[in-house]
Amino acid sequence: MARNFRYFEKKRGHRRTGSRTLGSLGEALFFASLLVLGCAGLVAGILWLLIPEWRLHHGFKETTCLVQKKRLGEKEGDGATLYRPEIKIEYEAQGKQYSPWTYDLNTADMSDRAYSSDRAAVEAALDAFVEGQKYPCWYDPSKPDRAVLVRAYQGWLWLVFLVPASFVMLGAGGLVYTIHHWGKSAEHRAATVQRAQPSELFDLDRPPGPKLPNIPELSDITNSPGTTLAYRLPLSHSPGWTLLGLAAACLLWNGSVSYFAVAAVRSHLAQQPDWLLTLFILPFLAIGVALIVCLVRQLVQALAVGLTLVEISDHPLLPGGEYRLLVSQSGRLAMRSLEVWLSCREEATYRQGTNARTETREVRRLPVFRREGLALDRGQPFQAEGCVRVPAGAMHSFRADHNEVRWSLVVRGETAGRPAFERAFPVIVYPLAGAPVPGSHAP
Amino acid sequence: MNEPAILIRLDSPARTYYPGQSLSGQYRLESAEGDPIRAVEASVLWYTEGKGEQDLAVHEFWRRDSQGGEGLDPRRPERFSTTLPISPLSYDGQIIQVRWCVRVRAFLSRGRELVAEKGFRLGDRPQQEVSPPEK
Repeated sequence: MARNFRYFEKKRGHRRTGSRTLGSLGEALFFASLLVLGCAGLVAGILWLLIPEWRLHHGFKETTCLVQKKRLGEKEGDGATLYRPEIKIEYEAQGKQYSPWTYDLNTADMSDRAYSSDRAAVEAALDAFVEGQKYPCWYDPSKPDRAVLVRAYQGWLWLVFLVPASFVMLGAGGLVYTIHHWGKSAEHRAATVQRAQPSELFDLDRPPGPKLPNIPELSDITNSPGTTLAYRLPLSHSPGWTLLGLAAACLLWNGSVSYFAVAAVRSHLAQQPDWLLTLFILPFLAIGVALIVCLVRQLVQALAVGLTLVEISDHPLLPGGEYRLLVSQSGRLAMRSLEVWLSCREEATYRQGTNARTETREVRRLPVFRREGLALDRGQPFQAEGCVRVPAGAMHSFRADHNEVRWSLVVRGETAGRPAFERAFPVIVYPLAGAPVPGSHAP
Repeated sequence: MNEPAILIRLDSPARTYYPGQSLSGQYRLESAEGDPIRAVEASVLWYTEGKGEQDLAVHEFWRRDSQGGEGLDPRRPERFSTTLPISPLSYDGQIIQVRWCVRVRAFLSRGRELVAEKGFRLGDRPQQEVSPPEK
């Protein structure tokens, strides 16, 4: 059915409707206003900062002047006194005598930029000139009563241009992008973006073989050979990072809360209890204590539960394939059970208001083995072999910008008196048609 | 007057195709005589449905523009053909679905558009063709 111009966007289920033209127009207006703002900033900077500075160095004429008087110029700024050097000089220009108060171009132009809060630096600048002595100075031929004693380049001027320049770049880039995509369908835009992807010539990590769009790279998994089986699988995330994150959160939270807690305790010690602050701080203290307990438990678990190693006989996995698996668990603890399964998870990222949310759902859990009543000794890791079967017709690993199908081998241990631990080892499942040619990648 | 429509027909009656197989067919516009067609785009693409934001990738894309403002002939069937890739395969998950389709989009006058889709499944190679993985 023909679609007419729509002004407002609606979200119907998982589909968005709305006017592409209006959306592009909004984008174009946004980037155009950035560009205009940046250009205006650049022009203003050039007119007010750059041209006067350039004229000073290339248009002003040099002559000799006599320093008559000098003083510390003062004015009240935002809650502080500001200073500038002021020197009265006498010089002759175009046949006439002039005696203005000046120092640099800012002082000569009575600009507020001449003032500084650093009194010592301003006094040092004044000390460089002695009353009654002669110095070189530079005057404006078009306005001979305008002269300076100092004409150094102001390096910070160039930094001022960074802000409008970045506006110009963002605005121009965005505008070019919007115009380039103007009126194009979603398919046309996707095709353009895909054609612009870097050439495979530069994709040196990809093993030889057929192209497998939207299937994650193997190299991260197959670059570590095993001692018993072909590959040692990497851990999806190290427990060390979890500990570090938890420790940082613990420190930040309790550090902030302790400031108020100390104030509350002091009020009680001084026999002037602040009950409002005390009651207010109690729930925050409880969260802080919970964080410490959680951190200690994680730390104890990390120390007691040693390394988990998983090796597999082949990789990538294929639907209908069977693979040998070796699991090794070190540590010094009594375990109620150790369980291994092959897991398939779907992960979808979506926007809710301004937040990006991710929903994960385990859609397949295929048991590999389960052992019960284990006593681990530090010198002797527990080892067990199993067989992983990938179901025929299973979906291959899939990764797009917002959606992912992720396969992994999960090892879960239940220990007596401690929380259970779970470690995931990602694996890649290929479609049958993408089965690698034997020998195309070596362990 | 009937609403204009796009008809897409695939050559093979099977709705499931396999990686490496050729997908071919044709499309034409019906009842669009009064409305000049500025351009027609045909794509073989996949997109996701489900909980997450939509991902979309175009496997093959063709575009025909009208020459000199005369408009395209809507009655003339246009053929397309492409070799299908290995992945991603069609998928019906719990929160993610991957759909393949042939999508034809016609751009009419005054910014109006006609869109039609013909879905198909991209399935994996049949199991018996696979040699067991080496262990």
